[in-house]
Amino acid sequence: MTREQRFEAEALPHLKALYGTAYRMTRNVHDAEDLVQEAFLRAYRAFDGYTPGTNIRAWLHTILYRCRTDAFRRAGRSPRTVELEGDGPAVPAPQDALASGGEDLVRALDGLPEAFRTAVVLRDVQDLTYDEIAGVLGVPIGTVMSRIHRGRALMRAALGGRKP
Amino acid sequence: MTCDPERLTAYIDGALDAGVCPEMEAHLAACPECRAQAEEERALRARLRALPPVDPSPELEARVRRSLRARPRRGSWLLPLAAGVVALLAWARGASPFVAWELSRDHDHCFSKRHLPAKVWSSDPAYIAEWFERQATRVPLIPDGAGGLELVGARYCPLLDRSVAHLYYTNGDHRLSMFVVPGPVRDSPRELRPRGNFVRLMHVGGTTVGLVSEEEGAVAAFERALSTTVASNVAVDRAAP
Repeated sequence: MTREQRFEAEALPHLKALYGTAYRMTRNVHDAEDLVQEAFLRAYRAFDGYTPGTNIRAWLHTILYRCRTDAFRRAGRSPRTVELEGDGPAVPAPQDALASGGEDLVRALDGLPEAFRTAVVLRDVQDLTYDEIAGVLGVPIGTVMSRIHRGRALMRAALGGRKP
Repeated sequence: MTCDPERLTAYIDGALDAGVCPEMEAHLAACPECRAQAEEERALRARLRALPPVDPSPELEARVRRSLRARPRRGSWLLPLAAGVVALLAWARGASPFVAWELSRDHDHCFSKRHLPAKVWSSDPAYIAEWFERQATRVPLIPDGAGGLELVGARYCPLLDRSVAHLYYTNGDHRLSMFVVPGPVRDSPRELRPRGNFVRLMHVGGTTVGLVSEEEGAVAAFERALSTTVASNVAVDRAAP
């Protein structure tokens, strides 16, 4: 099996999962697709550095997140700036959740500052462990815990629960 | 245990150290506030997990596959390129026209400043030689002057990939640089005129010495002085038993 075949067999099955995260990060179909394409290219080039037997989905997410922060850097801003601003902008829910009655949930998720949103998506949608999320985001476990907690608290508040 | 909402989040996710869990469970049993947080977070997590996946356009996978095939691996062209740059550098550092150009540029750079950027000021060749010696550079032959120009000071100057000993000689508006260049320099043509300066590269006592000046006469005077010094050194050596 060539390197390319191995990569296609192991990494490409996670394309949909990666797209799901990219879409939640960017809240935009075109940006999400560009981000995923760039991430897979980088992953292919770096495939020799992947340790077989470890969670390849977490590894791909690490690269995806790096692509996202690089895009921010090129644009002269960072997701952290958004984090410090507190609540993010309210965004209309995309069509995907309307049919399932998850409109309010998606709106609450999309309304989170990106740093919290990414942490919540990696935990609750992608089911990564705290350790894996810390690796993806390049932050200590304590920061992961804090971002997930604050993200969920803001969502609970937005969904009409208690104050965050 | 007091309320710790962040650690409670970690507990719900099974990310808390096992040793702390019984303590957290005892606290939960006693604290309605934290119990409510736990219930709400569990419900929220369940709803998020149940969200229908967002699918990319059917073309995305094909696009990704195409891009993997289209691009060669970075290393396949970067490595020969890097090797080429290294080979070019190795060639350039030994090529006399290139070295002459570098020295000429440094001569112009230093003498264009309002004050000469010397690190050591002295007209005494022995003192300057000792200053370089202390920094592990052997400068065996330093004339105190020639053609009316006198030694005033010296410093190290950076070239492309190494630093050279740079000695300053002046007399009013007349100036000359003498460089001691480490490493081999391939045979130098008699006439080198980079950047309008006169440059002479000489092999003196196992090292390469570069002379740079705007005036041909100054370079010629130092060339003679250096040849005389070498000749007299050789004569002394021969006279020694």
